[in-house]
Amino acid sequence: MERKEKILEVKDLVVKFRLRGEILTAIRKASLDVYKGESLAIVGESGSGKSVFTKSFMGLLDKNGFIDGGKIKYMEKDLSTYKKEKDWIKIRGKEIAMVFQEPMTSLNPLKTVGKQIKETIELHRDIRGKSSKEEAIKILEDVGISKASMRYDSYPHEFSGGMRQRVVIAIAIACNPKILICDEPTTALDVTIQAQILNLLKRLKKKYNLTTIYITHDLGVVANVADRVAVMYAGDIVEIGKAEEVFYNPKHPYTWALLSSLPQLGKKGEALYSIEGTPPNLFEEIKGDAFAPRNPRALNIDFVKKPPYFSISPTHKAKTWLLDPKAPLVEPPEGIKNLNKYFGGKRDE
Amino acid sequence: MIRYTLKRLVQSLMTLVIVITIVFLLMRLMPEDGYFGDSYEKLDEVQKEAILEDMGLRDPIHIQLLNFYKQTLKGDLGKSIIYRPKVDISTILKSKIPYSLNFGLAAMFISLGIGIPLGIMMALNKGCFLDKIGTVYIVLINAIPSAIYYLFIQIYLTGSFNLPILFSVDRPLSFILPTISMSLGGIASYAMWMRRYMVDKINKDYVKLARAKGMKNRKVMISHVLRNAFVPMSQYLPSAILFTIAGSIYIESLYSIPGMGGLLVDAIQRQDNTLVQALVLIYSSIGIFGLFIGDISMALLDPRITLSKKAGGK
Repeated sequence: MERKEKILEVKDLVVKFRLRGEILTAIRKASLDVYKGESLAIVGESGSGKSVFTKSFMGLLDKNGFIDGGKIKYMEKDLSTYKKEKDWIKIRGKEIAMVFQEPMTSLNPLKTVGKQIKETIELHRDIRGKSSKEEAIKILEDVGISKASMRYDSYPHEFSGGMRQRVVIAIAIACNPKILICDEPTTALDVTIQAQILNLLKRLKKKYNLTTIYITHDLGVVANVADRVAVMYAGDIVEIGKAEEVFYNPKHPYTWALLSSLPQLGKKGEALYSIEGTPPNLFEEIKGDAFAPRNPRALNIDFVKKPPYFSISPTHKAKTWLLDPKAPLVEPPEGIKNLNKYFGGKRDE
Repeated sequence: MIRYTLKRLVQSLMTLVIVITIVFLLMRLMPEDGYFGDSYEKLDEVQKEAILEDMGLRDPIHIQLLNFYKQTLKGDLGKSIIYRPKVDISTILKSKIPYSLNFGLAAMFISLGIGIPLGIMMALNKGCFLDKIGTVYIVLINAIPSAIYYLFIQIYLTGSFNLPILFSVDRPLSFILPTISMSLGGIASYAMWMRRYMVDKINKDYVKLARAKGMKNRKVMISHVLRNAFVPMSQYLPSAILFTIAGSIYIESLYSIPGMGGLLVDAIQRQDNTLVQALVLIYSSIGIFGLFIGDISMALLDPRITLSKKAGGK
């Protein structure tokens, strides 16, 4: 991949939460560069901090959450210093927009879908009344709602889950954001609708020149949409690279484990692979490699010292001591060596 | 919407008919002494029978019921027997309603005017000082039987502020305490419900989405939270308001206010059967009407509500 312009640069971000008098560290010095026009997927199990990570780009952390270090650089501005609502509302929706995972509940049941889109347009653009209504109808058409001018006056409950997700997407793109964050956009939908929504997102990305960040634990979605993949574990990005690199040449033991648990790799009659143990307790300080306690191939140093990034290629890096020149040779598990068999076809789309 | 209103109207009318029937049947179980008034002692059995027969009370029960329906339909509530003998009940009520209405309206405005904003403020500043104070107030009002704090107010506040202890029309100062007493409960329950429904909505996904759109918190609160919290409120408010207006049974007797509430107590104590019957009828109609209005206003505010079975959506 040729070096592109960075649109978002997250450096050593630390996000903490106050919970019942204790401090929970959700994001532990995570860094991430997002390039203009790319499609990046952040994968990881539940509780790995992928949602919190992206929410912090929009100042949408819950009240008890706060940024405790690091930088979020967006267009020469450091978003991590934003405290006031006045500053954030210039970013939210206009620069960075978000599609949530629950289309059934993400729309206000008492307002027509048209109004909810129009409302967004009027927040950031200087049009009102009839022209913003026309704009809203145009966007509705854009997200594939037929008879948009009629549907403008429908209420969310008159729409199916897939159509509601289209409306949520319409709200997100209504003000031409530069970055679109899709937080598990297809989790709540059934499989046929999932594909439609993903195709829609891909089409809109091209049309509006969006940079998209997908948050998902569905590796099928990743294979379908992502140029690059970031693997998140316990609040840090442990491996990042082009989708092919992460899928076909994974380096971090956690990525191995994650890929091994793909249902497609299961053999008939055998239990599916699952990762032993539970994610670390985020209330405590984590020493060394956070994944070490669950990693059957962990080295001694994994328990003592946090690994830095080791580059595998200019675009691919991972945080594991296995990549240290002095490390013993540890082979990835057998099952995930021929993953192109499963994803090879899809990637060419 | 029109269909919904009509259906709901028919349902309400049916409920009303059932209520009328039950009230009628219950009244037949009351001792018959209540039909003779002061002359009770002087009458012998034959005379009593004659009076009952004259009033139609010896007719077969279904005829009586039919007559009662007809009478009620014409708006004729009957005549009082003991309370003010031979006077039309509607005449009695006409003299009572203004008092209840005045106090009721005053109490309603005070409790809405304080209770709703208080609930909103509490929800917006959840966990802060105002919220805590408000919660203590709500718990106290709900936990202590109202009879007790009404009495305390009457006894201690009249003493310390030199206010009249009983109501009298030409002393404006005597309006103060009953109105305050009537408002206290309303303030507590309006604030409690308002706060609860708002807190409910604040955590909804669409509120998060509204924020993610770049909407100011203030605007989110007004156009997404408050608006939506008013849907459940709108169902409950009309009956609460109607009952406040209809007068408080206890406060009216406590301050000797000649209103509707005090009248019911009087009528029951003095066994004025027809008057009790009429009053119970009025109060239950108010209840049914309140629910009807509540349902209609909720349907006006919430597009999802229809009475049909096929209606989907959560």
